[in-house]
Amino acid sequence: MSVIKKSEEVYQALLTIEQQNRGGVSAKEISAVLSTDRANISRYLNQLYREKRLRKIKGRPVLYRSLKKGKEGAFKAGRTIDQIVGANFSLKKPIQQAKAAILYPPRGLHTLLLGATGVGKSMFAELMHGYAIEAKMIEEQAPFVQFNCADYGDNPQLLLAQLFGVTKGAYTGASKERAGLLKQADGGIIFLDEVHRLPAQGQEMLFTYIDKGYFRPLGETERKITAAVQIIAATTEAPQSYLLNAFIRRIPMTIKLPSLSERGLAERYYLIAAFFKEEAKRVGKRIYINRNSLISLLLYNCPHNIGQLNSDIQLACAKAFLTYKTEDKQYLLVAQSDLPPHVKEGLLKLPEKREQVKLLLQDQGEILHFSDREEQDYARKITPEQTRFFYDFIEEKLNSLRENDLAEDQINQILNIDIESYFQKHLENLSTFNKQEEIRKIVEVEVADTVEQILKLATRKLKRSYDQKIYFGLALHLQKSISRIKNGDKIYHPELNQIRVNYPDEFIAAMEAAKIIDHNFQIETPLDEIGYLSMFLVNNPYQAKDKKRTRVAVLVIMHGSSTASSMVEVANRLVGVNHAIALDMPLNMEPETIFAAAMAQVATLKQDSELLLLVDMGSLTNFGEMIAEKTGRKVKTIDMVSTAVVIDVCRKAVLGQEIDQIYQSCREGRFPRKRLVSNKNKENAIMTLCFTGEGAAEKMKELIERELSLPNSFKVISLDILNREHLITTLNQYQEYYHILALVGSVDMIPGDIPFIAAVDLFAGVGLQRLKEIINENNLYSRVKLSLQEHLKHLNSARLVDSVRRALVRIEGALQLAVPFEVKVGIVLHICFLIEKLKKGAEESVFPGLKGFKAKYFREMELVKTALNELEDFYAIKVGPNELAYICKMFLQNETGKL
Amino acid sequence: MKTVMLVCSAGMSTSLLVNMIRSIVEQRELGLKIIAASEAEAKSYPGQIDVLLLGPQVKYLFQKMEMLMAAAGTKVGVIDSISYGTLNGEAVLSQILELLQRG
Repeated sequence: MSVIKKSEEVYQALLTIEQQNRGGVSAKEISAVLSTDRANISRYLNQLYREKRLRKIKGRPVLYRSLKKGKEGAFKAGRTIDQIVGANFSLKKPIQQAKAAILYPPRGLHTLLLGATGVGKSMFAELMHGYAIEAKMIEEQAPFVQFNCADYGDNPQLLLAQLFGVTKGAYTGASKERAGLLKQADGGIIFLDEVHRLPAQGQEMLFTYIDKGYFRPLGETERKITAAVQIIAATTEAPQSYLLNAFIRRIPMTIKLPSLSERGLAERYYLIAAFFKEEAKRVGKRIYINRNSLISLLLYNCPHNIGQLNSDIQLACAKAFLTYKTEDKQYLLVAQSDLPPHVKEGLLKLPEKREQVKLLLQDQGEILHFSDREEQDYARKITPEQTRFFYDFIEEKLNSLRENDLAEDQINQILNIDIESYFQKHLENLSTFNKQEEIRKIVEVEVADTVEQILKLATRKLKRSYDQKIYFGLALHLQKSISRIKNGDKIYHPELNQIRVNYPDEFIAAMEAAKIIDHNFQIETPLDEIGYLSMFLVNNPYQAKDKKRTRVAVLVIMHGSSTASSMVEVANRLVGVNHAIALDMPLNMEPETIFAAAMAQVATLKQDSELLLLVDMGSLTNFGEMIAEKTGRKVKTIDMVSTAVVIDVCRKAVLGQEIDQIYQSCREGRFPRKRLVSNKNKENAIMTLCFTGEGAAEKMKELIERELSLPNSFKVISLDILNREHLITTLNQYQEYYHILALVGSVDMIPGDIPFIAAVDLFAGVGLQRLKEIINENNLYSRVKLSLQEHLKHLNSARLVDSVRRALVRIEGALQLAVPFEVKVGIVLHICFLIEKLKKGAEESVFPGLKGFKAKYFREMELVKTALNELEDFYAIKVGPNELAYICKMFLQNETGKL
Repeated sequence: MKTVMLVCSAGMSTSLLVNMIRSIVEQRELGLKIIAASEAEAKSYPGQIDVLLLGPQVKYLFQKMEMLMAAAGTKVGVIDSISYGTLNGEAVLSQILELLQRG
């Protein structure tokens, strides 16, 4: 009797402590309250845990939480089986199977759940129970009994007694008759976890029940007990194991639940979000998490699956909660330091998964938050904005360009860039999670059906498959274009001829697709529309670019044990193709040896391919001629090579440029190499950008030079770019020699610190105005630098002003607001003097009402802090909270508009 | 003696400007008292202020200060950003004098 009382006492104590401390309760805390030995408390806690009244949070010390609400749990609270994370993706098939198992007449099928530790087997079983009630297969009050066969692993008698019941005196200690869990589950479902731990005798008894529908309690020989119970068993064992064979023969339905790694990053993200919301609900506060911590959680190796993910998140939240409480923070932020070490390591995997992560978090800032209040639809909502399609966009542009009296071919040039980028962006923005039902919510049924027909046709004709993105993109597109055609609006495709030439197969398929459309909607699809349809059918429509012929091979040989390979690694990664080959020449290696290695590499190349040899110095510079003599190939050598050159050469080779062309461009040298340009002497430049081969950058450059009478020292540089990475590297190179005031282009690909002007704005005139302003502002800042230099003894004012200005652009971007130029001048001066002051080691100024300000604007302050990191690092200073608040306030109060 | 107060957010960037203006004022014997202050100090300054000039970064204070100081007859202005940025004491002083003359 006293035992029961004691465990109840422990339970009550836990509930009380829990109300103050929501992160979980340790045995130590309870032992303090009840003044009982900690080891004893632990024992009661374990007992309560076995009774499923508590839940353990793994870690040191182990924390416990009550389970009083019963069906608590991130992804099941109030949810049905169709609403759990992954219901339409990785769990789609398991859910279909589960429903079949439940609905199978007359009383459902016994089911075996397979899956590793922590994949959510018991939750899944509970959801099946919920579904059975929902489907009216069992009564609303029908029991769901859970039993873990491992709990009595060392006492098979007790286990069997628990499960099948016992008659009095059946074994020593069986002092009274008990019904057993199987009977308790009559009319409902019993969940047998870790069923492989069931002893042989228990298996036999269970099989008897499965085969005949009755069983005998322990110690009973005569009486049969019948019960109508659906069994859901679960195991982590591989289904081939001996023990399970007998089981599987009797259990008709086997459902395999995927491991966390099989479920993909997107689902993992939603699981994480769900767990955080759960925690937020628990602590009753919004939980913030910085981007890197979230990335760590997305990528770390999590062998115990969802269960582990959940407990690691709980642990991190508990730690963050502690910091929040003890350090009297204004908000609950989960930072890297709150993560367990093995979770932190996840960030190291970012390079492998960068693209996926980027896609997943593309709409998110540096700090994300979760709260239980906002009920977000997990599959992202599609805004009406996104359904607005090219046509309106193109037509608007066309009109505005025509108003500007541009020649027809010029207009086409500009539109080309825009269409491509728009198309690309549009498709990329569509998440892959949009399932067909969602599409049907947005487009008409006939349109969705037509898309299916078209893609089926294209799959057959072009022998390639199309993913959800294309499906969705095309559906949106057709919805819009069909209504346009019906309205008699014109459809215009400036690249029509190019498409026809470059993608003849897709074009033909698109013509047939047009027939389907014509038939289904009783319209006549114009040729320009067929151009668009072709673009959707192209193999990789996100980057609809033509394939090039044979490429010039690139071989990089350098002194040093890893110089060449690391240069090549960088180059290949940035160019996106493993094109260049590296040969390292450790310093003790004989030239003959490395030459033989080079020859061996050359031998693997295609017979007719030409070779560009990139080397650093010494004997390597002669290799080219020797290889040419021996093999009869065309070989060119470029010496004194830097990583930048390797990247440039690779890019050109991949683009299919001729060997002489590449060689020449390297000889000329894009960058004056010998002259080291100090910051002061950097020339000012404006850069115009477009995607490779479009020529629009050149056009924009001409326009700028014509319209703004710039001094000779002022350069306008036009640049053809491949992709974002390439732009960043090239930009970095240019920045060594130029002070780049603005970027002008079709897509804003660098959310960084250089002001960006859209191509449309440039041609519409506002862009030119903005450029003029930027130039004027820059002139003023030159004067600011000069006068500051007199007063700042120990700092280079030019560099200081430039880096502060960059920080300002970052802050505006991060806060999504704009302050007027004159205010910026003031802020620049403020920060310059602040840095000088901090460098001298002076005290922070006091910001009156800091606490209140922080409480209100902590998010903004974090963002400003991040934007100032570069300054802090460079000047080795620390901007304290008071100073941050001052800076923050200057931006917030002077705001004139949203960016 | 007329009092002129220059206000910036933490009283940091204006102090330099104040020193420059002071030396010109002394040279020309203009009889002006020039002080630098932070936003908080400005509001609680016990004496009469004749001209209050705001650094461009605290431009947002303009309306508030004007309302607050109107009764005492204080002229409120925002320092021209070019004069401010180039630390042009001469130019700021003429801005002060102009405000004073406005009566």
